[in-house]
Amino acid sequence: MSIQFPVQTDVMSPLARLAAYSRGESIDRLPCVPIIGNTAARVIGVKVSQFRGNGHVIAEAQTASYRKFGYDVIRVFTDLYTLAEAMGAVVRYPEDETAYLAAPALDSIDDIARLQPVEPHKNGNLPCHLEAMKRVIEAVGQEVPVTGALTCPFTTASFLIGAENLVRLVIKNPEAVHRLCEVALESAIRYATAIIETGCTPSLTDPMSSSTVIGPRQFLEFSYPYLKRLIDFIHSHDKKVTLHICGKTEKIWQAMADAGADCISIDNDARLRGAVESVGDRLRIMGNVHPSEIMLQGTTADVRQAVFDCVAQAGASPRGYIIASGCSLPTETPFSNIQAMMDAACEIGWPISPDLLSRGQI
Amino acid sequence: MQNRNLTADDHFKELAEAVVEMDEERAVAAAHASLESGIDAYDAIQQGLSAGMERAGQLFEEEEYFIPELLMCSDAMYAGLEVLKPHLKKTAGSRGTVVIGVIEGDTHDIGKNMVRIMFETGGFNVIDLGRDVPPQRFVDTAIDSNADIIALSTLMTTTMDGMGTVVRLLNEADIRQGIKVMVGGGPISPGFAKRIGADGYAVNAAEAVKVARELVAI
Repeated sequence: MSIQFPVQTDVMSPLARLAAYSRGESIDRLPCVPIIGNTAARVIGVKVSQFRGNGHVIAEAQTASYRKFGYDVIRVFTDLYTLAEAMGAVVRYPEDETAYLAAPALDSIDDIARLQPVEPHKNGNLPCHLEAMKRVIEAVGQEVPVTGALTCPFTTASFLIGAENLVRLVIKNPEAVHRLCEVALESAIRYATAIIETGCTPSLTDPMSSSTVIGPRQFLEFSYPYLKRLIDFIHSHDKKVTLHICGKTEKIWQAMADAGADCISIDNDARLRGAVESVGDRLRIMGNVHPSEIMLQGTTADVRQAVFDCVAQAGASPRGYIIASGCSLPTETPFSNIQAMMDAACEIGWPISPDLLSRGQI
Repeated sequence: MQNRNLTADDHFKELAEAVVEMDEERAVAAAHASLESGIDAYDAIQQGLSAGMERAGQLFEEEEYFIPELLMCSDAMYAGLEVLKPHLKKTAGSRGTVVIGVIEGDTHDIGKNMVRIMFETGGFNVIDLGRDVPPQRFVDTAIDSNADIIALSTLMTTTMDGMGTVVRLLNEADIRQGIKVMVGGGPISPGFAKRIGADGYAVNAAEAVKVARELVAI
């Protein structure tokens, strides 16, 4: 019978595995991260809305999910809006689905001056997320890296003024965009400080910076400067930074590296092999098993195949590779598929067979 | 601009360029100029503004333009349209009626708005239900308006199932034959479209119009 529970066959703890991998030493298998957010609610049988305002429930769910699957990074994450909400955006919480933005914080750019950077221990749901991070660190921080999701300035700006307004302003009123990003950056830095104080590492996410939305030149002008300052700040606290940008990113990979990211998380609209060739010598790459097509809707065989394909493309990337989903998993992703991802990582093992790697060269 | 020296083609070109160059004021001026020269408003819309928007769509597909440019182009197009619309003598032979919206639980509507713009540009009559729309409302609206197409969008994996619900409701209402369903948005794939029984899938706004034209041409 094949191995069913890789958690029990893993020789190394995630922290030990990642440390050894970074030193170029032998490991038991590649790091593997199915990016789990609200799916964790299913692990402990609670409704997604029970996460709201309940840091201990988020912590319990994230810890239980890690213990169940044994993946290599915990990411405390429920939705993208926590920072914008703490600055006045209106977020709606369906009973058992992911929260969504109901209204931006501002009606007009005339109100930008009214925006205040967050007080992380006071505003919105930030205190609850910080509590969750602290509790997860206490529970399993000795064995696994624990990160806290942090939405980046350009994306937060879109939640402050509305996405469609923001992209118009990119052309019509660049100065307003910079003012929004500046206050979003200050909020992000304050929240990053609080995240680091819990013992966690901020994990950056910036979907609106995708080339699916704005062009590479617009990224350089409106997003990059703030990303760089945020990453510089986190680096000044001796933390490594993982940066996730959804959608198309090929034309901004170099800029993501220039901004200082130590690891970039690649979505399915981007080609893993292309990322390895472009920036694999500058940073670590993670991705990009399709969250909906494969992880949500595929069979366990589909998941296994997708993991093998990813490792074939990126397993030999110079600065390392982490098997991962292309983005946060949909809440209802079957446990069997998450398990299949972990199983595939174990099956591939270490060292990765030259046969598998040679398949990725084609 | 010396109107009397300009040919109709010059006017069309000016209107199209105003759209491609994202210049609202220029589009308004060009619309007035074309009316003053006796150009038919319908032709000015079709061969001028729409042609410009189609070119903008091409530039988007070629990744010369991105969402900000496409939105600004559409602002210019609509500004010109405001001037020309009251002067329409004949109603355009519409290609069909499309009911469009973002599925319930999702409030991301940039993508949907882009698709709506391209549909309108492409000669469709569009009924926009906005965002966060319950499946039943798509079906009711499509029946009431005798629509040819329901176009569904979502960015969230959490709300994809609502698309399947619309198809199921159409089947249950026994009107599936007359109404084509097309889907799109970040997490949607051709495989997903097929699985839920949708008739069409488009990867972006420019392609959505092509797919819609094929669907109603049958």
